[in-house]
Parts: sequence; C-alpha cells; structure tokens
Amino acid sequence: MHEASLMSNLLAIVERAAADEGGGPVRVVHMKIGELAGVNADALRFAFDCMSPGTAAERGTLEIEKVPLAILCRVCGATAHPDDLVFVCASCGSSDIEIMSGREMQVDYILMNDEAPAPDGSGPKARRGEV
Amino acid sequence: MHKVHVEQDLRGKNDAIAEENRKHLREHGIVSLNVMSAPGAGKTSLLCRTIPLLRGKYSIGVIEGDIQTSTDAEKIATLGVPVHQIETGGVCHLDAAMVHSALHSIDLDSIDLLFIENVGNLVCPAEFDLGEDSRVMLLSVSEGDDKPKKYPLMFREARLLLLNKIDLLPHVSFDVQKARREAREINPKLDIIEISCAVGTGFERWIAWIDSFVSEAGHR
Repeated sequence: MHEASLMSNLLAIVERAAADEGGGPVRVVHMKIGELAGVNADALRFAFDCMSPGTAAERGTLEIEKVPLAILCRVCGATAHPDDLVFVCASCGSSDIEIMSGREMQVDYILMNDEAPAPDGSGPKARRGEV
Repeated sequence: MHKVHVEQDLRGKNDAIAEENRKHLREHGIVSLNVMSAPGAGKTSLLCRTIPLLRGKYSIGVIEGDIQTSTDAEKIATLGVPVHQIETGGVCHLDAAMVHSALHSIDLDSIDLLFIENVGNLVCPAEFDLGEDSRVMLLSVSEGDDKPKKYPLMFREARLLLLNKIDLLPHVSFDVQKARREAREINPKLDIIEISCAVGTGFERWIAWIDSFVSEAGHR
C-alpha cells in the first residue's frame, strides 16, 4: 500500500548508484523482496512505470526477485524454510529463532551500459551523432 | 552492460531517522511504545482508558497518527496530556520522519512515557521503525482468530498482544486458544493479555505490564 513511497526511495538509490558510475541510463534494476516484506510486486512495477520517467532508470526494466523465508535456530544451528510461519525450531523445539532472509526490500544491483558518458557531459549518443 | 552492486535497503533512510529518534528519546529519559492494530481495534479507546490509570505515576505524551482528521487527538487532549496529531494525508503508516517532526512539537522534558498511536493497518506499520522502544499491538475479537497467520510480520514484531473486546466473546466466533497458539508460533516470546477497553477487563495486568516494561527499559 506504500509502494509509491518505496519506489521514490528506490529511484533515489538507483540515481545515486548510477551517478557514482558516471551517470547514464540504467537498463535493469534488480531488487529483492522478502516473503514477509508485505510488498506487492505488481504495485511496485506499476509505481516503477509511473515514476521512473525522467530518472536514470527511464526505459529500464524492474526485476523483482522474491526471497523465501529462512530461519536459523540460535540453539542448535538448524535452518528451515517454514511454509506455515511457525517460528519454532523443528529440530530442537527452541523458540530462539533468527530470521535469516525473508524481510528484504532492497536494490540488489543495477545493470548499466558499458559506455560511460564523456567528461564534457555529452553522452554516448551525442558522440555518435544520434542526438 | 555491466553490473553495479548496490545492496541498499529501501527502508535505509527511515531506519537512520528512527535511530536518531531513539537516541533523542533516550537522552530525554523517555520510554516509548508504538501502538498498532487494524482500524477500529481500539487503540484510541485503549489510551483513553489507560492514561487516567497512569496519572501520578508517569508524565505521558501521545503522538496520534491518522490518515485524516484530528478527532483522536481531541479525545486524548481532554485527558489533559500533551498530544500531537500527525495527519499522514493518505499514507498508510507512520514513518520515522513524521515522528521526528512530531517530537519537535512536544516538550520532551515534561514527559517520560510516550505512546505513539500508529495508523490503523495490520500490514504497513510493521515495516517502519519509528525509533520506539517496543511495539504493542491490539487484535479485537471481532476481527477473527485467523489474523496472526494472515498478518505475520505485525505479530512477529510486537512485544505484547492485547486481545481486545474480550467482552464480545459470547457474540462472535473467535477461538481465543487458536489465536494465542498461532500468534505464539509466529512470535514465541509474545506476551498476550486479554482486555476489554469497554468494561475494563484485564487492565490491572496491562498496567502491570507497562510498569514492568518501563522499569526494564531502564536506560534512564
């Protein structure tokens, strides 16, 4: 339900990452969404389509990798992927459980064109006379 | 094309502000509780019944979060405690920046216990750290006993579950044992207290929980 504000954070992160690489269009934004994160992938894609124009990710693609819930028992070290949302260790019965994955809501990586813009600010297209 | 590793959480900015809030509150010796539930589960009624019972013991402040209207803050203000209303203007949860602004409009030297009433919603508020010490959630029996499994993160993140409107049990099909069992499967350390804000059931236990939490939070 707050996918638009999350998208605004995502685009800010992507813009900064792209600027650190010298700027230029971002072709792919790859993000991870955990099973417990309470975020709807379709709503995120919709927000990306609406909000990416005018940013480095304009005309890029949003890829969403869903991350299943994984838990670790701090007592016996067993790991599990509980489908039934039972946060109790199936091996030793301990409730001292750590969530290893499943809460992600992050930009994992972006894919950018190899050709960096020229130092004078003109992009690859300008240098190729494609403006 | 080349790959640029980013690995940044979308909540990173919120979490940084939440840490500032937490530090700020602790510097002022304030214990804070983020109160969360679905709309209509009884958050405001809980505060209205609780605050008079704590009078003389704590100096209370309240931050009210609503999508629209200030009616909840007006109710709280009649109890004579400082209250600040945040109207989120459509946003479905409070975030740390909203609370940060609200903290500037409350005299922090005059309070030592802060209730932050979140926007009524069982999903989004669970994702946003506000800088609170802990989280209390309400589930009213009229909502149904299937809610822990349907909204696991909220139940996982809460320290205390208040099962509210317990006086309605004869009129609704709510299996208390099932709700308790499934909530504890998600969060084995969850404290659970059955209450009724309408008739006052369970308030001795709830007040005792607050006392114990405040003394444990003892970073002051």
